[in-house]
Amino acid sequence: MEKAHKPKKVFVQGPISPDFVAKSIASHQSKTGIGAHAIFLGQIRADQKEGGVVTGIDYTAYEEMAEQAFHDIREAAFARFELTCMHIYHSLGLVPTGEISLFVFVSSPHRRAAFEASEYIVEEIKANVPIFGKELVGDAGFVWKENT
Amino acid sequence: MDDETQMSFQVKYFGMLAEIAGLSDEVWNVAGNLTVGQFRAQMLDKYPAMRDKKFKIAVNQKISEDFVSIETPAEIALLPPFAGG
Repeated sequence: MEKAHKPKKVFVQGPISPDFVAKSIASHQSKTGIGAHAIFLGQIRADQKEGGVVTGIDYTAYEEMAEQAFHDIREAAFARFELTCMHIYHSLGLVPTGEISLFVFVSSPHRRAAFEASEYIVEEIKANVPIFGKELVGDAGFVWKENT
Repeated sequence: MDDETQMSFQVKYFGMLAEIAGLSDEVWNVAGNLTVGQFRAQMLDKYPAMRDKKFKIAVNQKISEDFVSIETPAEIALLPPFAGG
C-alpha cells in the first residue's frame, strides 16, 4: 500500500488570522486539478455564563496524543473521500472572542467530497482529539468547556 | 524476600484535573502490578476532588478501560472532556 501522508504540524499559538487563511487559499492556485475547496472556521463565541460573558478560550492539549489523533483523522479522511489535499490548524493558548481557533481546509476535484470531508473532519476533531478549553468569563472567572 | 516488584510510571494531568492535582505531571510508585481501574482508585484516594469529575485514562496515548494492565514503561494521562474546535 502507498505510504500515507506525512504528519503535519497542526497547532499554532494564539488565534488563526484571516490573513493566514487567505494565503492558504492563494497557495492552492497552482493545483489546477482542484475544483472545490471547503473551509470550516471555528470562532470563539461570547456565550453568556453565570458570572458574565465569555471573553476568550485558553486552549491546552495533550500534544503528542493530539498530533497522532489529527494524523489518524487525516488518514481516515483521505481514505473515505476523494481529496486532493487537506490542512488542519488548531490554536493553543488564548483565543479571544470573535477570533478563529480552528481552520479545516479540504480540496477536491468536486464539491460533494469537499463538503462531506470537512464535516467529517470537524466532528472527528471535536470527539477524539485531546484538546482542553478554559472559557474565560467576565473579569476573573472561568468554566471548563466540554464538547457535546 | 518479597517478590513483588516495585513499579513506577509517569502520570500527566490536563485541564481541570491539573488544577485539582496542583501539578501537570508526577511519578507514581506502586508495589506490584496495577490495572487502570486500580490506578483510578488510588488516584481518587489521593485527589478526592476528582471524584465528581468526568475523565478518561490514556495509557501510552491510548484511552484504556479499567481492566487493562499497566505495563511499564508507561505514560498515563488523565483526560477531562475534550473541547477542541
